[in-house]
Amino acid sequence: MVTENRSGEGRLIRPYTITGGRTGADSPPIALEALVKATALGAQIRHQFRWEAARVIDLASSDTALVELAARLDVPIGVARVVVADLTERGAVTIIEPRDGSAGNEPGTEYASLLKKVLDGIKSL
Amino acid sequence: MESRASEPRRPLPVKIVIAGGFGVGKTTFVGAISEIEPLRSEATLTQASYGIDVLSEDNTKTTTTVAMDFGRISLKHELMLYLFGTPGQDRFHFMWHELSKGAIGAVVLVDTRRFDACFAAVDFFEQRDTPFLVAVNTFNGQRHHNLEDVREALQISNEVPMAYCDARVRVDVQTTLVQLVEHALVRALEPTSAV
Repeated sequence: MVTENRSGEGRLIRPYTITGGRTGADSPPIALEALVKATALGAQIRHQFRWEAARVIDLASSDTALVELAARLDVPIGVARVVVADLTERGAVTIIEPRDGSAGNEPGTEYASLLKKVLDGIKSL
Repeated sequence: MESRASEPRRPLPVKIVIAGGFGVGKTTFVGAISEIEPLRSEATLTQASYGIDVLSEDNTKTTTTVAMDFGRISLKHELMLYLFGTPGQDRFHFMWHELSKGAIGAVVLVDTRRFDACFAAVDFFEQRDTPFLVAVNTFNGQRHHNLEDVREALQISNEVPMAYCDARVRVDVQTTLVQLVEHALVRALEPTSAV
């Protein structure tokens, strides 16, 4: 039985599921293509995590998109999202979110220079 | 003093959406240029959480599972391009919003034997004001339709580029992506009608 600490500061341990009971609704969702990379700390504390999270640390030894982690772990995107959010909080991984220039969030010229790089990149394949 | 000098620069993710009807060749298109075998990922949405990004795995409410295929290409300039095939059926429309958010643009693949299958995609990107290109898949070597006839049939505005593309052929896919990004670039440089 878990007793609620009325100050709210106590640590509660509950029989959490794979996602630690979180839904990921409290912060903006990590983009599908956001790149996840394990930190040096992540490799060190890998053993503290459940297998899904530990696998994420392994898979993200180089930058890997959230959606790719989900596919390789064979879990729904929502689950991968929560696992990655948790790892981020613990400093085990860091995330590079995409720039959202398409909706006019950035000055046209800055976004255009990104598009020019993408164009050059695809042409040079 | 430069403690992080040895840290290599990390890539920036970018994405392009490949849309079109079921069985039109989206995954083939992705696979023709991806540096990895196309992967499949699933998202689960509950009816109750429609439109909100909440996923609860132990939920007993009605859930919808939607699968999408994707691939990736490392580009120079430290860019990582992800190509997402949209789920084919219209009932998976809800996923298109998330896929399209922040996308450079979209390729709408058309099978001229089944024109109507791409209407939903064309409407979606038009309304969302996402730069898109219409590519007529020429698998089976079919080039029965003049591109301008296709434009007419689909009622696509003159600014939208049209192309033939054999989704199995890497260079065709590459050329199509180049055309799309060029189109997106032109759009980005247009004087904005501020959102």
